[in-house]
Amino acid sequence: MLVATDIHRHFEGMRAVDGVSLEVRPGKITGLIGPNGAGKSTFLAVLAGTLPATSGTIVFDGEDITRLPAYMRARRRLVRTFQLPSEFARLTVLENLLVAAPKHRGDSLFGALMGKRYWIDDERRLVGEARALLKQFGMSAKESDYAGTMSGGQKRLIEIMRALMLHPRLLLLDEPMSGVHPKIVEEIQHYLEDLRAEGLTILMVEHELHMVDRLCDTVVVMAQGKVIGSGTMSSLRRQPEIVDAYLVG
Amino acid sequence: MELYVAALGFGLISVSVIAIAAVGFTMQFGITNMINLAYGEVMIVCAYVAFYVNQAGVNVWAAMIAAALAGAVLSFLLNRFLYAPFQRKGTNLIGMVIISLAASLMIANILLPIVGYGTSAYQMDQGQLLRWNGLVLTVAQIAIIVVAALMMLAIHGLLRYTRLGKAMRATAANPTLARNCGIPTQRVIDVVWLITGALCGVAGVVAGMNSENFSVASGAGYLITIIAAAVLGGAGQPYGAMIGALIIGIVTELSAAAIAPEYKEVVAFGILVLVMVLRPQGLLAKRGALAAAG
Amino acid sequence: MNTYYATTLVVYAGVDIIACLALNLQFGVSGIVNFSFIVFQSVGAYTAAVLSMPPDTANGGYQIYVGGFQLPFPIPWIGGALAGGLLAIPVGLVVLRKLRSDYQAISLLVLSVIVNSVITNARPFLNGAAGIAQVPGPFSDQVDPLTQSYQLLYVGLTVPCVLLVWLVASRIVNSPFGRSLRAMREHELAASALGKNPVQLKMTIFIVGGVIGGLSGAILVGYIAVWAPSEWLYPETIILFAAVIVGGRGNNLGAILGALLVPVGFFEATRLIPPTIGGWVPPPNLIPAMEWVAIGLLIIGFLWFRPEGVRPEARRVFEGGPDLE
Repeated sequence: MLVATDIHRHFEGMRAVDGVSLEVRPGKITGLIGPNGAGKSTFLAVLAGTLPATSGTIVFDGEDITRLPAYMRARRRLVRTFQLPSEFARLTVLENLLVAAPKHRGDSLFGALMGKRYWIDDERRLVGEARALLKQFGMSAKESDYAGTMSGGQKRLIEIMRALMLHPRLLLLDEPMSGVHPKIVEEIQHYLEDLRAEGLTILMVEHELHMVDRLCDTVVVMAQGKVIGSGTMSSLRRQPEIVDAYLVG
Repeated sequence: MELYVAALGFGLISVSVIAIAAVGFTMQFGITNMINLAYGEVMIVCAYVAFYVNQAGVNVWAAMIAAALAGAVLSFLLNRFLYAPFQRKGTNLIGMVIISLAASLMIANILLPIVGYGTSAYQMDQGQLLRWNGLVLTVAQIAIIVVAALMMLAIHGLLRYTRLGKAMRATAANPTLARNCGIPTQRVIDVVWLITGALCGVAGVVAGMNSENFSVASGAGYLITIIAAAVLGGAGQPYGAMIGALIIGIVTELSAAAIAPEYKEVVAFGILVLVMVLRPQGLLAKRGALAAAG
Repeated sequence: MNTYYATTLVVYAGVDIIACLALNLQFGVSGIVNFSFIVFQSVGAYTAAVLSMPPDTANGGYQIYVGGFQLPFPIPWIGGALAGGLLAIPVGLVVLRKLRSDYQAISLLVLSVIVNSVITNARPFLNGAAGIAQVPGPFSDQVDPLTQSYQLLYVGLTVPCVLLVWLVASRIVNSPFGRSLRAMREHELAASALGKNPVQLKMTIFIVGGVIGGLSGAILVGYIAVWAPSEWLYPETIILFAAVIVGGRGNNLGAILGALLVPVGFFEATRLIPPTIGGWVPPPNLIPAMEWVAIGLLIIGFLWFRPEGVRPEARRVFEGGPDLE
């Protein structure tokens, strides 16, 4: 589904990503792990288009997207979430989801000036979709609360739901479990498993090796900007260099 | 051709004036991440402090000391009682810019009823006119250049060779880490504002000496040139500000000779825009502000 | 209060409301700190003026300016609005694309200072520091501008403009487009990760704000018949910022309230200050200076105690939601 070839990302003399090639297979959850500073988040940002690649190519479903800015990749349903909370604080939870809606008649200057009647149907449809998601993730009661007042775990869920509103083909998750209450971690894990069952492809940067072990079909290990191994968790555990570089137990 | 050599001479003085101001301005940014838009108005306040001392019969060079003190105190108070509380509150970058703009308006308009709307000038002896290879400068102008050079050396010495300087660089680079290493960051910040405030004061007087006259309205023009020099050199980099001052000073004077003197600030603005679009990190882009070059 | 004063107040209020609605769209809703807003109002004023005035040889030829096409209403007003929009294009393309937010604000602030300085110094363009005078207002050849009828006519022209701008601003703010703008304001990176093109959003609202700002200038210049660089120094934008911050940013009612409280409020308040206070005559320039100090205090005070403004942005609740216990 996505093939990244020889990605480099150099900035101010630092080689954050130093020649990484990776393939993400459809319908699977791929994990990206490695010690701090390995360049995992930077690589994810390059894949998403938030940061430009210094060199290398990214092909998504047969299309070369290397030069595309982030918002165009999102429109092609390659969607990312962020490591730090990135909710729209002064919008309500429901509005956060509605923002993500693609192809809304009211989402342009022309549409806005035409008035409510022009876009109300799209809006009603999307509110329905959003509410269904909120129900699925158990946050229906919070729909009219400001997203900024939500807890860390709830913000994480909002981000995931927001991404889902775009009907993504590939979801890039940047440490979805970090800073989240263990109970919510369980919930998120179940949601991700359900999503995979529905055919969603996921690439996940994560530190919680426990989680990676249970969720990920394949795992790629990075260190110092390079890929040092890939395969299943169990096969990786058997490679001493990988264990040395990173894995503890 | 002679016109251009003479312009070069003016350029040197311009560079001196801008350098003193820009170094102070950029250090304020480096240590507190604060674009202090009130800097130009503080310069004017100090210029007037020196003016009144000068009117009382004191030599303008001695009056400069009073101005430096005034600048130090005013800048320190500005940070302590306005900027720092808002920053502690978590105000974002834009909010801080708006606040510093409000502060600059208030300072200017408190000053206006006191000093009036007209222009003022120092009573000073410009001294002999000296000529050298087409450069035409008065003794006073050369003195300005010397003062600027001394201040640059002093700042360099401070940053490179003193404990305080090291503490300043550390605080600018990473305040939390600095604090954890036992550096009293709050005191360091206060000292930086005192020192840069003094620079601001001296800059105000020197700028006033260099123009035929000055008024409260001059502040905006000063600020533009200072921002241009600071951004060109790399925001937060004192050595960058010196280089920025050099470039801006020379280029604006040369263009004033080539085009027209009223458009000096337009040229500075043009340079500012070019830098912001092409190389926003400035010339001396380095991680951690106040880092010594090399 | 005589009719003349009342109509003046209404026209000034109308112009200020229109300007604040525009600035709110740019700043309150979309997070663009347009410190050069007054330049857009000014370009609208100058454009409307040179479109409606006779060639500069008229009236004894004491002014030098471009244009002078003597076009009738509504062309000068439309021209002014368009000029504001057109100016927004190059400014926006340079400033809004790659700069971080505080650099954007600074660039726009400096632009405001510089443009004023250039117009002041380039005399043949728009008559330099003296500015242009004897600008004919709409229908001033059919109705004598010195009569009360003309005053009422002007109010009759201004009020529909205010309502139109309010309608446009309302439709924008309360639409999904407005929602995208607000999302961009909150977290630009996240918004672009959800498919929003931040540059396009910013440019669009910057141009819309420019058009509305230009219109406000056109309306104002037709009424006061003069326009000089001293009318549009960079601090004028700050008054509008104070208005939007005080009234409540992000929402149109807040912007309108701010326009009434700050620019109009100050206008009224200074009228009420007696010429002598217990025998002491304040120097002529003290009052305006104190106004500016008050503006600064208002901004700082509100940002400290009530940053959301008197009338905060409303929380949007959708009908048919879950029942709250």
